[in-house]
This record gives sequence, structure tokens and C-alpha cells, in this order.
Amino acid sequence: MRALNSKFSKAALACALLLSIQTAGAAADAARPPIELKLRPRVCTLSGDDETCNTTVHAQWRSKRNESLCLFIVDRPHIRHCWENHAEGVYSVEVSFSDDLVVQLRDAERDDVLASQAIAVIRQALLLRHKRRPPWNIFD
Amino acid sequence: MNLIVRTTFSLLTIAAAAGSLPAAAQSPCTAPSPDCAIVGDFDLSVSVGYGTRTNPVTGREDIPLYVIPQVSYYGKRFFLESLEPGVTLYESDANTFNLIATPGYDRVFFSRHDLQNVIISSSLAGGDFQGRENPPTPSFGDQAFPVPRRHTTYLAGPEWLFRWRDFIGQVNALYEVTGRHKGYELRAGVSAPLIQTKQSLVVNAGWTWKSAEAVDYYYGVDTLYKPGGAFNPFIKLSYAVPLSERWTLTAFVHYEYLDDSIYDSPIVSDHEVITAFAGLKFKVL
Repeated sequence: MRALNSKFSKAALACALLLSIQTAGAAADAARPPIELKLRPRVCTLSGDDETCNTTVHAQWRSKRNESLCLFIVDRPHIRHCWENHAEGVYSVEVSFSDDLVVQLRDAERDDVLASQAIAVIRQALLLRHKRRPPWNIFD
Repeated sequence: MNLIVRTTFSLLTIAAAAGSLPAAAQSPCTAPSPDCAIVGDFDLSVSVGYGTRTNPVTGREDIPLYVIPQVSYYGKRFFLESLEPGVTLYESDANTFNLIATPGYDRVFFSRHDLQNVIISSSLAGGDFQGRENPPTPSFGDQAFPVPRRHTTYLAGPEWLFRWRDFIGQVNALYEVTGRHKGYELRAGVSAPLIQTKQSLVVNAGWTWKSAEAVDYYYGVDTLYKPGGAFNPFIKLSYAVPLSERWTLTAFVHYEYLDDSIYDSPIVSDHEVITAFAGLKFKVL
């Protein structure tokens, strides 16, 4: 009976410890100031026969406290740039894309998404008109 | 000219024009094609090949054709199709109403330097278009007379384009606005594709009616011949097959029958004008 009590008290202690760690983490997340992420350009407009945006993406972030984080572009695993204990950062990269491009800042250790912004791709509708084909004309 | 031929051409045009033209039967422009232009795009093409246009005017040589440039631009309202600028007043899939300006075509028979005679000079080309503006004076019986210079004329007026199934028709009502003869022209035509796969073969048929003032300016002879109005039917076959994104093999033949009021002129020796050309078209822009 004594042994059972001992096992129970250890398990309860472990649960309490785990709970306190989780609560502390949540409290830390809640206390974490938001990170401001800005992208340029804001949109990419495709016109005519254009199929992809080929542009340099400028990302700029700012926080009220020092952060260790990494910049990622969704579906582009080869693009990654990290900062250690910085309150702001700037990064530029040339990218080709045909759909909305999502840029994320993630915690360097926990991989949580701290901020996310997207560059929207807008396809300009092609305006078409009927052509004249004057048969009297030698040029046609 | 033969009444049957004249009536056939008229009926062809009127039959197409008189249709009820339900909008659902029309094919809207959904992709760029030879019949659909991208608004705001400037197109420049050059056809290089060989062709000729017969010259019905007495003493004038046929007109060789080596290079034919084509320029086209379509804005939301304004457009330019080679030498024809215009403004669109209304457009739907079935009907288009434009105001256009268009050159008088008859001058090409009188001046080598007419804008429509875009010819690269060649040592093979002979005749009166090799720099001489004054050809041998035609004679009528024992009376010889000079052929005075004909100036460039422009006509302007409304145009109606209609599309019904694969048929495309157009009617122009034009007045000469450059002050040379102040005559009128009515032009009507209808086109239909005979083959429309990768290659296309299109037939056009129609007519041009010219008022007495217009005919007189080109074919009248002072104190000797005062013509009336002229009704000239025509038929045209155009063939094209794209070889690549920029190159197209192209050919056309155009036959026009000149009304008696033109043919009876002492300076005219032929009842018909045939224009034929075959070559390669290169899309520059």
C-alpha cells in the first residue's frame, strides 16, 4: 500500500510538473510581443502572356524584443534566412512564382509561426476584340 | 456587266445581312487569334513573297508586289488596320458599329507612290511604275489626251460588321472627305471559312458601288467621257498556314470585275483586276 502511494505521488508530481511547464510556455507565448513583417511588393500583376512573376522579394521584420527566428517561403525549402537575438531584420531574395507567395517568420527552436504575409498574384484579364478583315484591303 | 453575276453578288451579301443574328450563335473572342486582337497590343507583320496586281488603265504596267507590311492596333475604342483608322461606337459578339476612314483604292492604278503600292524596287520590275508618273498618253480614235494626276483620297463613314456562325459580313457607307471629288462609295462583303483547321482557307465575296463623282475623278476624260456610277463585284480567296509562332505561309487571290461605266472609259482597257500574292508572313511585333 505504501509502495502504491509512492508510485501515485510520483506520477502526480510528474503531471503537475508537465502542466506547469506547459502553462509557463503558454504564458510566455501570450507575453510575446507581436512581430511586424512587411513585404515588398505587396502584389504581382500578370498581364498578357506573362505566366510567372520574376521579382526580388524584400522582407523586413521588427520586434519589441530580441528574437531568434528564421524566414521561410512556403513550398521553397531552399530559401531560409535566420537571425540570432535580433530585434529587426531585412532580407531580399529573387523569386519566380505563379501563385500567391507566402513568407513566414518561425521561432528558430520551436518552429512556431511567429508572423506570416503573402504576395498576391493578380492575373489581369485579357481584353480581346474582334478584328476587322476588310476584303478590299490588299494588306490583309 | 452580266445581270446574273451582279444579282448573285447582291443576294449573297443581303442574305447574310438579313439574318436574325441571334447572339447565342456568335463565337465570342476568348483567345487571341487571327480574328481576335488583344486590346492594347500593337501588331506589325511583314509578308515577303511575290505577287502582282493587274492594271486596267491603258498604257500602265501591272503592279508587282514583293513586300506587304501589315500594321494593326486595337484599343478599347480606337483601332488602326493598316491604312484604315477608326473608332468603335458599339461592339457585341454579333454586331460592331464603327466610324472608319479608308483610302480610295483606285489611285493605285495611277501612281507608283500611292501608299497602297508598297513595293520593294526590283530590277525585274519594268513599266511605268519605275519612276515615271506620266505614262504614254492613251488615244481614243485619232485623238490623244493626257491622263492628269490623281491625288490620294480618303473616304470616311459608318461601318457595320456582323457575325453569324462562321460568316462575317461588313457594310461601309463612305463619303470622300479629302475634297477631291466628294463622291460616295458603298462597300459590302461577306466571308466564310472553307477550311479551318491548322490551315485556313477563307472565301470573301462582295461588291463596291462608286458614285458618278468618284468614277469620274479616276476614269472620266474631260469633254470626252463622263461616266455614271459603278458597281464592281469581287471575290477573294485567302489561304494561311502557320509554320511557327512567327512565320506563316500565306497566299491570296482577289478578282474584281469592273463595271461598264469604268470599262467604257477611253483610259481603261480591261474589264477586271486580279491581285494575287504568295509568300511568308513574319510577325515582327
